[in-house]
Amino acid sequence: MSHDHDHETNFGSATSPLAARVRAMEALLIEKGLVTEAEIQDNVAYMDSRSPVNGARLVARAWADEGFRARLLSDGKAAAIELGIDAVASPELVVVENTPDVHNLIVCTLCSCYPRNVLGRPPDWYKSFEYRSRAVREPRAVMREFGFEPPGDTRVAVHDSTADVRYMVLPIRPPGTGGLDESELADLVTRDCLIGVDVPRAPSAAQA
Amino acid sequence: MSGTHDMGGEPAGPIDKKGHEPEDWERLADAINAALGKKGIQTTDEHRRAIESLPDYRDLAYYERWASATERLLVEKGILTSVEIDEKAAEIHHRWENA
Amino acid sequence: MTARFAPGDPVRVRPGAKPGHVRTPDYLKGKAGEVERVLGAFPNPEDLAYGLSGKPERVLYKVGFSQRSLWPDYEGPAEEQLYADVFEHWLEPGGEV
Repeated sequence: MSHDHDHETNFGSATSPLAARVRAMEALLIEKGLVTEAEIQDNVAYMDSRSPVNGARLVARAWADEGFRARLLSDGKAAAIELGIDAVASPELVVVENTPDVHNLIVCTLCSCYPRNVLGRPPDWYKSFEYRSRAVREPRAVMREFGFEPPGDTRVAVHDSTADVRYMVLPIRPPGTGGLDESELADLVTRDCLIGVDVPRAPSAAQA
Repeated sequence: MSGTHDMGGEPAGPIDKKGHEPEDWERLADAINAALGKKGIQTTDEHRRAIESLPDYRDLAYYERWASATERLLVEKGILTSVEIDEKAAEIHHRWENA
Repeated sequence: MTARFAPGDPVRVRPGAKPGHVRTPDYLKGKAGEVERVLGAFPNPEDLAYGLSGKPERVLYKVGFSQRSLWPDYEGPAEEQLYADVFEHWLEPGGEV
């Protein structure tokens, strides 16, 4: 068994035999009245509408509003719903906060658990066998591959989401962002920051 | 020793950071799975168990595993037969080739 | 929900294999850790996976482990921790962390 594969970016065409089997399942389930076409399309549309922008909004609000930060850390799902994010169907969401002492990194070694109802479908690398294998054992080497190294004395905490809880990182607000409004703050927060392989940077630093 | 999916701590190579936009059939496989869950026809853990049981787990891409596992579960539960999936898939494939 | 363990309690993950669908990764089997947080009670995934109800629900804990206790070649400092979510029936009391 080798990790040397490139399937996630090397699919067959949209008309592959497997694609035909997926279409076949859809058609048969609809014929038998087990699901409707509309239900399938609703689920496609719902997942298409999820994105890391939701996570960035949560983070920016937490940076701007101390009360919201506390609510986000005590019940991530309720905080998402409070912000108008449709996360009712989501599993519990635990938000782990980066501090000068601790930097958090999220992985799911057993499958690829991810807060999909908030952040959308996970990136291919998060689902890769390489990330799932290595993030628990050599998180610092993994972060270096993403071009990030935690500063000085900061400890790394890895969270393997093995069960019924989904995890998201609340990064540290970068210095020099005092003048930014909430939407400008949200622009600094990428998907990678919400997983913990990177951190947000102030606009000038990002351009440097 | 657990299953082939239980890979935490295994030695592995560099992480490929380039991604791909999900194709239509992947979005569809995702949606079928979600719809079956909401209807109470399958649970997340049944689907995970079916994924972990795929003999070619390590050779399949993510949504290939998802779709194969959903198919397996539907057959296992007696909801669809493998023959009707074969036949319907052949029909669809034939239609594509003659489109 | 009656939780057998509380935050701060030393625990050990049960060693050994179990057939079927389990959500306790191999690399934690037999390892000592400390309860960080009680996450709540959830239907047992080991039964849900086979079409059963998963009742009675099982208490799920966020457990912290010293990275160096998991990986002898661990690169980071001695205080670094790994956290994983482990169901109560996979935990036993005690064990020096």
